Amino acid sequence: MALLRYESQVRAPLVDGTKDYHQVTEDICGPVEASPSRLWWIGFIISVGLLIFGIISVTMEVTYGVGQWNLNKTVGWGWDITNFVWWVGIGHAGTLISAILLLFRQGWRTGVNRAAEAMTIFAVMCAGQFPIWHMGRVWDAFFVLPYPNTRGPLWVNFNSPLLWDVFAISTYFTVSLLFWYSGLLPDLATLRDRAKLKWRKMFYGVASFGWTGSTKHWQRHEALSLVLAGLSTPLVLSVHTIVSFDFATSVVPGWHTTIFPPYFVAGAIFSGFAMVQTLLVVTRKVLKLEEYITIEHIDVMNKVIVLTGSIVGIAYLTELFIAWYGANGYEWYAFKENRVNINSPLGWSYYIMMGCNVLSPQIFWFRKMRRSITVTFFMSILVNIGMWFERFVIIVTSVYRDYLPSAWSTYYRPTIWEVGFFMGTFGLFFTCYFLFSKYFPVIAVAEIKHILKRSGESYKEKMDTLEQEDPEQFGQEHSHDHGA
Amino acid sequence: MAIREHFEIPKRFNTWSFALMGLGLISIVLLYITHGSSKDPHESARFWASLLQNSVYFLLVVNAAMFFICATTLAWGGWQMSFRRVSEAVSAAVPVMGVIGVVILLAIVFSDNHTIYHWADTEHVQHDEILNHKKGFLNKGFFTAWTLLTVVLWSVLGWKMRNLSRQSDGKQMSVEEGKKYMWKNTVWSALYLVVFALTVMSTIPWLWLMSIDAHWYSTMYSWYTFASTFVAGVALITLFVVYLKNNGYLEYTNEEHLHDLGKFMFAFSIFWTYLWFSQYMLIWYANIPEETKYFEPRVQGPYKGIFFLNIIINFIAPLLILMKRDSKRNYTTITFMAVLIIFGHWLDFFQMVHPAVSTDHVPMMLYDLGIALGFVGLIMFLTAKALTKAPLVPKNHPFFKESVIHHT
Repeated sequence: MALLRYESQVRAPLVDGTKDYHQVTEDICGPVEASPSRLWWIGFIISVGLLIFGIISVTMEVTYGVGQWNLNKTVGWGWDITNFVWWVGIGHAGTLISAILLLFRQGWRTGVNRAAEAMTIFAVMCAGQFPIWHMGRVWDAFFVLPYPNTRGPLWVNFNSPLLWDVFAISTYFTVSLLFWYSGLLPDLATLRDRAKLKWRKMFYGVASFGWTGSTKHWQRHEALSLVLAGLSTPLVLSVHTIVSFDFATSVVPGWHTTIFPPYFVAGAIFSGFAMVQTLLVVTRKVLKLEEYITIEHIDVMNKVIVLTGSIVGIAYLTELFIAWYGANGYEWYAFKENRVNINSPLGWSYYIMMGCNVLSPQIFWFRKMRRSITVTFFMSILVNIGMWFERFVIIVTSVYRDYLPSAWSTYYRPTIWEVGFFMGTFGLFFTCYFLFSKYFPVIAVAEIKHILKRSGESYKEKMDTLEQEDPEQFGQEHSHDHGA
Repeated sequence: MAIREHFEIPKRFNTWSFALMGLGLISIVLLYITHGSSKDPHESARFWASLLQNSVYFLLVVNAAMFFICATTLAWGGWQMSFRRVSEAVSAAVPVMGVIGVVILLAIVFSDNHTIYHWADTEHVQHDEILNHKKGFLNKGFFTAWTLLTVVLWSVLGWKMRNLSRQSDGKQMSVEEGKKYMWKNTVWSALYLVVFALTVMSTIPWLWLMSIDAHWYSTMYSWYTFASTFVAGVALITLFVVYLKNNGYLEYTNEEHLHDLGKFMFAFSIFWTYLWFSQYMLIWYANIPEETKYFEPRVQGPYKGIFFLNIIINFIAPLLILMKRDSKRNYTTITFMAVLIIFGHWLDFFQMVHPAVSTDHVPMMLYDLGIALGFVGLIMFLTAKALTKAPLVPKNHPFFKESVIHHT
């Protein structure tokens, strides 16, 4: 007999407490069916406020032109592109969790994947704003789409990594959205079936595309998940790789370096996980989901943070070392004088980057720190700040001093409308997240049920007999060698 | 039926490993006579370049087996427990391979022939502005110290990890003991990975390989080298797993495990390609002479054929052949692919080392292949010996049972 479900008791359970399938549904769907709390309203109103600030800032920029920002003749990319890269990076954790961790069969992903995927989609939406509004004449934005046209015909520049970005990000957004939404279908149907109000029934009825839960539906659903996971896996790598090409294909000192693609991807996963921690530490508390997003989940994600933070650290040091080793005067100057020199105008930002991204995550070598909610929350904010500064350092410190000192720009600082635009994307992001956490189950109900009887606390306790069985006997009973 | 825990080296296996080692020695001697003993520094460097390529490549490949163990330990991966001892046995070759590597590397650095490592020529460095700039890193003292330290650390930490694994052989652990045991494993694996990051993922490929083209540089180089040797390391583990299966060992390893090893070979072949592309494309796109210089003999010069063959073997073949589920579960295909991947990345190392030494022509590869087979024989010998020393399955490991029921 082949045993299909067994997990060592050495592994911590992924669902705490005594749960059955019904209880799981109750716990996760409950918050969706209840009226939002006062805290939710406060958060939501603040987010909408920020969003409005953002809309005003963008209106100013569109009305009066990009001159409303403090970009100048050498710093052509400033806060806008920094924010763009930062948001795209954040948008990596969701797909990593849903696709790559699915392929690696990491059971803990089920507790966090739904929220992380939603976050991914919102983050990519925010990221997309920056290059679009940066165009200035935004009404011509559709020029980036390559199609036979009456403008000459005027084609896009296929050699430009900026155009590759258009393709990469729109593909990524589409696939992430499909992945997230197809995963939602069974849960939306559950909500539909539980709905007591007519409008709710209608809303979730339409949203769940007529899901009945028949074997056939599940079969197609599983096949679709696997196909989408297969498609998403290269996308997780390709999106930030192509964003890194925006810089690395150039010959600008500090930008042109071959390690950029994998290092950007590692950094993106790093910042993505930090944002997932920020959101989930709050979400689990407010929605009382501590038994589903356990300390174990937080611990594991902190391990990912210390791992990716250290990979990024190795990349920073590699870059710095090779800048010296390469013996190219311009490259070395960009590093030595524009970054490492703390007395240079923007030198401080390099140290914020190093401190937040490389040094501070090392605290997570300690189990106690990984399992502390306060430390985790604080660290996740720190990493988010650090990763913003990473992009700021890469972009601004590389360009603010051009080759000729006569072309060195004045100290770049953003205007209120640049800041407002950035704040506006926070507004957009959190408005979406609040709506999501109100109207959708923040944890994948169906997927939790899938692992419940293997990794649920009360079920694991029942596996004592298997755990204590003699390994050889266990092997003979349960091995399923199909023959060589 | 009890588990067949003890591996006995079949006679045929020993014959083969000694025959291959013999072939390797003959190739070394022949190459020495035809090239190594020549007065022309370029001719004799061709001999040393071959030893360098082979010893460094195979050392990094067997060391990748320990990386595989530590990475899966840190990730708490249970599936590979049923063949864990095979990965351990492959990694047990590190000390011997390390000594060989150190001897060859130091012999090259301290010889009077500076064709391979220009930077070791103190006279020349004084007149070469760039090498003079780099001498803080590229000098004999640092090279020797760091190389020795690296090999010692790999060997010691690897030994510690294998030793820890043996500790589970006694009696079955309780859950609490299992947790403590995992904790100890985690600590040592983490330590190994830190050392790995500071050596394989950064400094060691710069020193041993990138410094052959001493003027040239690429930040990607070390990660690229890592990807190359890691995928070959997984392929090597796979080969031994298949061999043991075919001889009736490893009862609890089956197609499911093989399938996952195949997935690793598939995924990391593509990962290697990703790094290859990133490095090549960025240098091609920016078109800065001091960077493109490296690719000139490789893409436009005599090494053109090898350059493209490299991509075909290491990317196109795994992509097309390993994509299918069935091919990853088939003993024949997976064996073929493992051999192809090990050869493919050997070829990759060939084009990393030789163009700087034999700039105007591709050296005749038969000698190098002979030497490579000698190293293969040595690895076979060392791994088999290590396999006899421990039970073939760590049956009391907390995750062993998970591995038994593993479904991919």
